[in-house]
Amino acid sequence: MGVLFCRMAEQLYTVASDSETTGEDKSQPSFPDVAIGIDIGTSKCSVAVWDGHQVELLKNTRNQKGMRSYVMFKDDNLSAGVTGGTAQENAHEERDILSGSAIFNMKRLIGRMDTDEVVQASKALPFLVQTLGIGVRPFIAALVNNMWRSTTPEEVLAIFLLELKALVEMHLKHPVRNAVLTIPVAFSRFQQTRIERACAMAGLHVLRLMPEPTAVALLYAQQQQQQLMHDNMGSGIEKIALIFNMGAGYCDVAVTATAGGVSQIRALSGCTIGGEDILQNIMRHVLPNFDSFYAGQTMDRIRSMGLLRIATQDAIHRLANQETVEINVDLGNGQKVSKVLDHSEFEQVNWGIFEKCEKIINQCLLDAKLVPEDINDVMLVGGCSRIPRIRSLVLGLCKKEVSYKNIDTLEAAVAGAALEGAIASGVTDPSGSLDLLTIQATPMNLGIRADGDNFAAIIPRNTTVPARRDMLFTTTQDNQSEALIAVYEGEGERAEDNHLLGYFKITGIPPVPKGSVEISVCMDIDAANVLRVFAGVVKPQGPAIPPFIEVRMPTLDDGHGWCGQALAKMYGKTLDLAVLPKKLQP
Amino acid sequence: MLGFFGTSAASDLCHLQLGNGSVHHELNRQNNYRQRSVIRCCSTARGRTKDYYKVLGVTVYSTPQEIKGAYRKLQKQHHPDIAGYKGHDYTLLLNEAYKVLMRNLSRHADGKTRAGFGSGYTGDGYSSWNGPVRSQALFVDENKCIGCRECVHHAARTFAMDDDLGSAHVEIQFGDLEQQIQLAVESCPVNCIHWVDSQELPMLEFLSRPQPKEGHGIFGGGWERPRNVFAAAKNFAKRLERVEQELEREQSSRSHGNADCEAETEAQAEARRRAGEELRWKPLVDVWNGLRGWRKGGTDQ
Repeated sequence: MGVLFCRMAEQLYTVASDSETTGEDKSQPSFPDVAIGIDIGTSKCSVAVWDGHQVELLKNTRNQKGMRSYVMFKDDNLSAGVTGGTAQENAHEERDILSGSAIFNMKRLIGRMDTDEVVQASKALPFLVQTLGIGVRPFIAALVNNMWRSTTPEEVLAIFLLELKALVEMHLKHPVRNAVLTIPVAFSRFQQTRIERACAMAGLHVLRLMPEPTAVALLYAQQQQQQLMHDNMGSGIEKIALIFNMGAGYCDVAVTATAGGVSQIRALSGCTIGGEDILQNIMRHVLPNFDSFYAGQTMDRIRSMGLLRIATQDAIHRLANQETVEINVDLGNGQKVSKVLDHSEFEQVNWGIFEKCEKIINQCLLDAKLVPEDINDVMLVGGCSRIPRIRSLVLGLCKKEVSYKNIDTLEAAVAGAALEGAIASGVTDPSGSLDLLTIQATPMNLGIRADGDNFAAIIPRNTTVPARRDMLFTTTQDNQSEALIAVYEGEGERAEDNHLLGYFKITGIPPVPKGSVEISVCMDIDAANVLRVFAGVVKPQGPAIPPFIEVRMPTLDDGHGWCGQALAKMYGKTLDLAVLPKKLQP
Repeated sequence: MLGFFGTSAASDLCHLQLGNGSVHHELNRQNNYRQRSVIRCCSTARGRTKDYYKVLGVTVYSTPQEIKGAYRKLQKQHHPDIAGYKGHDYTLLLNEAYKVLMRNLSRHADGKTRAGFGSGYTGDGYSSWNGPVRSQALFVDENKCIGCRECVHHAARTFAMDDDLGSAHVEIQFGDLEQQIQLAVESCPVNCIHWVDSQELPMLEFLSRPQPKEGHGIFGGGWERPRNVFAAAKNFAKRLERVEQELEREQSSRSHGNADCEAETEAQAEARRRAGEELRWKPLVDVWNGLRGWRKGGTDQ
């Protein structure tokens, strides 16, 4: 019902914009329609608005800027982490969250299939994550009155956003419609549609989904701009910054070139590792029989796992400032954990995670065609950037002594999102502090399946957005009258290794020998990151050729793991395409 | 917000709102879509370098900093975040122009040969090729061209009119059928379309574009193009070769010490250079002489 209503609202909005009634809108400004900035973190969430002069981070009733991301299911009422529910103390809150009746880590679960290793790892969480391992949505449920009640990540996120929206509206005293959200670089386009769906359910319209490090880049651009205006130095020189963002669920890296308030994203890379993985590694380390001990989710096991989780989390936090920490938990059933953890042990246990961080930083620098010496500033943001080993690793790779100081580790991304919200809503500031722009880049290759099961990238990753590229393909069979365009996104060489976004058929290809038809596939990404695919026959030309097809991607709704296999089984190679080599290489 | 637009409506909107004639052809997405991609498939990206400089409002001599600055300035005006959806197509063009120009720049950053002298010369032609590269290519002497559009009329895909300069140029080599091209060449009232050697084409095309004139104090300066592009090409080639040789000598003396350098005396080197040059430029000189002879004949009549 909620979804239906919101879809109607969208439709109305679309009609109003298309008929160019913008002039009318301006004549009756009931309220300044500035998009708010939201940073939904895996563990914490924050919201910020442009108040006309600067970015203001909103606090909840408990005076918190970073609100714990969870939704508590209790009897018939739901309460999200925005207000903190009934619990007044943090310790109580944390214990309630881990009681099984709260759903959290939505960002790790949203839009993922049950074969995904991130979903598999989420089984160690106190609420129920049931998987079948066949490429469908996992079953998620919260404990209500000793009963598992099912829900979905989208629904949980929507409830959370609804409460967040209420908080903002209470603060601003007018309704809020548009929002800019930050997302991890590693989010697939399918996951992005899930976030959009959740926002629509909460009555929010997504103006932009911007990768987290690019939001930080925008904030950096603003700071550089203000610095220059203060020093009265004109447009200034170009500065290269590397932004490393590691939160509880995801790790992202961006390299940006900033000058004159324009931040140009040179390269992006990201992966799905974060504090949650570190936490689970340590939990498995201090309790070697972790998996067998928590095999079935009974009430006392959930409780004792909650205790272990809290103790481990606390230990990791303390380890940032201490040489050694002690973990002492009574798990019940005669099982006790007592362990002293020091830095070297911590680093050894999480060795794989640090290695992955290193990999994506190097990848990002390589993609940006830069060497560490080119970097002017290194920014470390996100909760995990407090870990000493992570700090030294990033700074070491960038050959820097210290990181950039003027940004807040936890608030930078949301502040950037609020800035983008103000800019994209058309707000201008006389003092020039909104005279900014982020030029985004695509984080993943986009292409189609061709030459058998290979992946032909049409828009390579790190292409400046808006982008439009086309590529020519040809038929693989004589007299082939139809061709399947299967659109994929990802880094894999083979189509199967990538995310399937959607597919459609080109029909009515004239009956000619294979290889003599030219089929053009053009991909277009606009500034709002919407992908459109245009395809059709360009050679031979004539009135007998069907019109081009334009498809907005992703078209797939669910269970996309199956579709690719089903297509292959049904049609085999009869609808295949091959890449047409360019006639003249430049 | 834009994500929810009806797609066809949105692109119609952008067509309506774009008034800029020079870029309109580039931007016209759907109506001309097929035609555009046909051109695209036979033209390489650098085939349109000329337009790209215009798009960014920079010159062939602009430094990377200037190009970056111009790009950022234009992005701030036209980026869809600021200008709304109507900025989409223009931003696409900006992105493409920026990419190509920066790539070109990084290409000659490798060899520092052309720093200072002839710094815009990349060794690539401005026109692109339809089909394989042939030994002969078409070249329009833009100084003599009177802008009659005859050639464009006869071979529209090969020739294009530059309305700013008031002269025609070759856009795509062999873009039309041979008969059409021949007709176009013959139709030129001032006979300014020449068949030239493909190897000389890049240099001629480079030189026929306006070059900055060397100024003396406040006098002179500005832009000009050589009155006689063929003579200028000859001159240019000589200078280019000299610079290259100097660099080569420098490198060899650096790598091998002075021992190898003495193997050849100055006079020998000079003779070798001259011989090589003569061989290399003979066809061009022949063409030039032939042309001169032909023109004399014309005036005599």
